[in-house]
Formats: sequence, C-alpha cells, structure tokens
Amino acid sequence: MNSFFHINIFFLVLFITSNTYAQNQIIADLSQENVKISTDFQGAKILLFGAYDGQKGDDIIVIVTGPKGLVTVQKKEKILGVWVNTRKVNYINAPKYLSISSNRKIEDILNKKTQKISEIGLNNLKIRIQPGIKVDNKKQWRQALTRNMLKSNLWSINENSVSLNKDALFRSFLKLPSNVITGQFEVKILHYRNSKLVSQQINSINVSKSGISAEIYNIAQNYSTLYGIFAVFLAVLVGWGSNLIFRKV
Amino acid sequence: MYYYNLLNNDETLMYIYLPIAEQPIHALVILGVGAFLGLIMGLVGVGGGFLLTPIMMFLGIPPPVAVASVANQLVAPSVSGVLSHWKRSNVDFKMGTVLLLGGVVGSSIGVLLFNFLGKIGQLDFVIKSSYVIFLTLIGSLMFAESLRLILRTRKGKISRGKLHQHNWLHGLPFKIRFRKSKLYISILLPILIGVIVGILAALMGIGGGFIIVPAMIYLLGMPTSLVVGTSLFQIIFVAANTTILQASQNQTVDIVLATILLLGSVIGVQIGSRYTNILKGEYLRLILSSIIILVSFKLLIDLIAVPSDLFSVIISR
Repeated sequence: MNSFFHINIFFLVLFITSNTYAQNQIIADLSQENVKISTDFQGAKILLFGAYDGQKGDDIIVIVTGPKGLVTVQKKEKILGVWVNTRKVNYINAPKYLSISSNRKIEDILNKKTQKISEIGLNNLKIRIQPGIKVDNKKQWRQALTRNMLKSNLWSINENSVSLNKDALFRSFLKLPSNVITGQFEVKILHYRNSKLVSQQINSINVSKSGISAEIYNIAQNYSTLYGIFAVFLAVLVGWGSNLIFRKV
Repeated sequence: MYYYNLLNNDETLMYIYLPIAEQPIHALVILGVGAFLGLIMGLVGVGGGFLLTPIMMFLGIPPPVAVASVANQLVAPSVSGVLSHWKRSNVDFKMGTVLLLGGVVGSSIGVLLFNFLGKIGQLDFVIKSSYVIFLTLIGSLMFAESLRLILRTRKGKISRGKLHQHNWLHGLPFKIRFRKSKLYISILLPILIGVIVGILAALMGIGGGFIIVPAMIYLLGMPTSLVVGTSLFQIIFVAANTTILQASQNQTVDIVLATILLLGSVIGVQIGSRYTNILKGEYLRLILSSIIILVSFKLLIDLIAVPSDLFSVIISR
C-alpha cells in the first residue's frame, strides 16, 4: 500500500516536472491578440515572436486555425449553353481560416506519413462531409475545396516564412485577409527536432467586429425588420432633403 | 521596432468596410458610380437600378447584397423625383395606388422567391440571367427607337402616333375610372402589371421603371406626361417594401453601401437634370442603350464562357 503510494507520487512528480520542462522550451507572444473589424478594416498583419530551447537544425511550424464550420463546395455544369451550379458537397467542420507557416519546406521537416498523422498540410486535415449525402470522387471535391480556399486567401501555406535566430528566437507574420471570418483563432507553434515534436505552445487570437460596423451588423441580424424600416426612412429623408436643398440653390 | 497593421496607412484611408457585404470597398468609387448613374437618371429619366446592380456585381459585391442595397438606395431618387413631378401635377395617385398594391404583392413574392433561390444555390444564376434577358431587350429596343428618331428628325419628318390603342386587355372585368389619366379600364390590368414589376424589382434590385413605363404607355394607354411621375410614385413603395422584406428575411441590405450610393446619386440627378439641354434626348438614349448592351454582353459572357474553375465555395458565416 505504502510503496504503491510512493510510486504514484514519483510518477506525478515526474509528470509535472517533465510537463513544466516541456512548456518552458517554447514561449511565444503575439503583437495583437484582439483583431477588431471596424469601418477601416482591410486585413491584419500580426507579429508572432518567441523563444525556444533549440539546437542547430531545429524547425518551427506555426499553424493558425480559424473557426470551423459549414463550407459548401458547388460544381457548375453546362445546361443549355449556360453554366449552372448543379451539385454541391457540404463540409461540416472545415476551418474557415487556415495558415501553415514554417522555417523551411514542410516536406523537408516531416515525412509524408508524419504529416498525415499529425494532420499537418491542407490535404491531411480531417474534414468531414455532411452525412447522408452520397459523394463520388471525394478527392476531386476535396481538391476543389483546397483550391478555392487558397484562392480566397483564407487558407495559405507559407513555407520559409518563419525566421529563426541563433536557434533561440523565432518570428513570423500572420496575415489575416479582409474577408476573414470572426471568431476564435488558434495559433499552434510546433517545435521539431529531427522530425520529432519537442515542444509546442498554443496561443489564441480573437477576431471580432467592432465600432459602427459591428453595431450595424448586429442590428441587421437581431432587429432586422426595424433595420429595414430605418434604411427606408433614411433614404426617404435624403430624397426629400435633396429636393429641398436643390430647389433653393 | 515591431510594427503591425502595415496596411493601415494613408493610401487606404478612403476604404470603408461594408458591414453586411463584409468587405472593404473604396468609398470614392461607390460615390462616383452613384453620381454617374444619378447623372444618367437626371439626363435621360431612366437608368437607376438596372445599371447599378450589375456594376455593383462587377465591383465584387455579392449579388444578393447588391440587389437588396440598390433597392434601398432607389427609394431616395424616387422620393425626390415624385416631389418635383407632384409640383407639376404629373402624378396620377389613383393609378399609382392600384399599381403599388400589385407592386407590394409582387415584391413580397419576389423576396420569398429570392430567399428560396438562395437556399437551393441558384440565386446568382437567376439574377444574372434575368439581367441578361432584360438588359438585352431594353438596350436593343432603346437603341432601335433612338436611332429611328435620329434618322427621322434628320429627314425632317415629325409623326404623331395614336394616343392609345384599344385591345383585348381593355375588355377585362372590374372596370374603374381613372379621371386624371382619362381612362376607364379594368383594375386587374394595372394590378397585374404591378405584380410582375414587383417580382422583378425584388429579384433584380431595380425600380422597374424601364418595364412599367412602356407598360403604362402601351398596355394601359396612359398619357405620357403622367407616366414618369406615377411610376416613380409606385417605385417608392415597391422599393421600400423590398428593402424591409430583404432586411427581415435575408439580412442582405447594406445600409452603408446604400447610403454612399444614394448620396452620389442625388447629387448626380440634380446635376444631370440641369444639363438636359446639352445633348438631344435621342443621342443620350443612344449612348445609354449602348452602355446597357455592353453590360448585358459582359454578363452574358460570364454565363456562357467556360468558368476558370467549375467549383466554387460558399463559406457560411
């Protein structure tokens, strides 16, 4: 009984120390943790920087994942001479923002198998298709998802964009495009040594609407009829006002 | 040493983030487009929504937001227009009321249809193809008409057509008298016209002036002097109804976009209406119809050209 207790304590201490040790190996911070989408928003550039307990040849991969949710892929077909959307596939937990940055080519850091297991890479991410829909040629649809998300700048691969300094410091710019979705963004910093994960840290960025543009959006969503009436009222006022002003000029 | 928000410099200060379209856009571009179309409206008397919505789409505003916001902005020039026509006693309020009853029903159907098409993913296609059909039709009719007028005035002939022709449509039941328009016709006819124009207005983000004006002249046989004022009167209510329903059903009215557009357009209208004598009406219409044909051609190419990518994504907010 007694020895069992001691062994337990031993493992607990070991676990705690190793855990703190691991955490201490990498520290990161962001120049901006709250991104506000206001009337002058055109995207944001956030500096991620930090220190890691590195050796020569170590690698850093930074994965930023935005809110996950429904993303629909549509396919056009030619019907009577015009191109019409005819088929669609719903992905129910697709990240609406994803950026993978690294200090060198990811294929040089990790082999294909490890990339797949640790879900690193645009095609290794497990994204589920809405159940109940029969989809043939899943690969084609998934490629279309990746291609279009890359095109909209919501997904990106930025190899060679993490700069390392003296095997101790790293920094990288995270770019959020102007069409970014609001919500919680997870910033995961992974430290690799000889393709093995040594340590990691997770930070987060909160993207929200703020100021007048947030208020307008909220009113349009929550008091939509009132918003419509106000929009009409404003237009009537301007129309009437312009008539008064220009009559006298 | 650490700098961020690099994009936030002077060059980009004129950009405004549209809260509903959820994208930044250059305020001066929108103001300029509004002013240009206002100018056309003031010069020619038509050409608000049916050019504005396609241009908004070309600028990258999502078609549903473009349609709903343009409907919103149309209220302003219509109010302004009705007030000046009213002063000249050029509005048949009785006919306008009957038309708007149909228009309100029609635009309500239109918004429901809009909602339904959005759900099945065919909204963009329907909006674009309706534009191709109507712009080609209106553009070529206008082009032919103004060309004919130009050639005729050059020959020095002035012809005068009949005030209005009677056809089977005038034989429908429920006749009532429209004193101002000097008409005794079935109430069903203006209601039906109102419904059809209302549906199109809601679907396409137009006032429907370019459909209702010829319908009033050729189908109802109204005096030309009353047509513009009366149609503007009914457009106010159809556009207002569309705006409120779009806002409550689909949340697609971007009040910031609409406000910038309408500020531009009221200025443009006033400038335009001051310089109507610079060019002859038929030349102006010839230019306008050429623009319309070009726009519809561009939309048609978008529909028939092989897309660069057959696949597209929709990201739910």
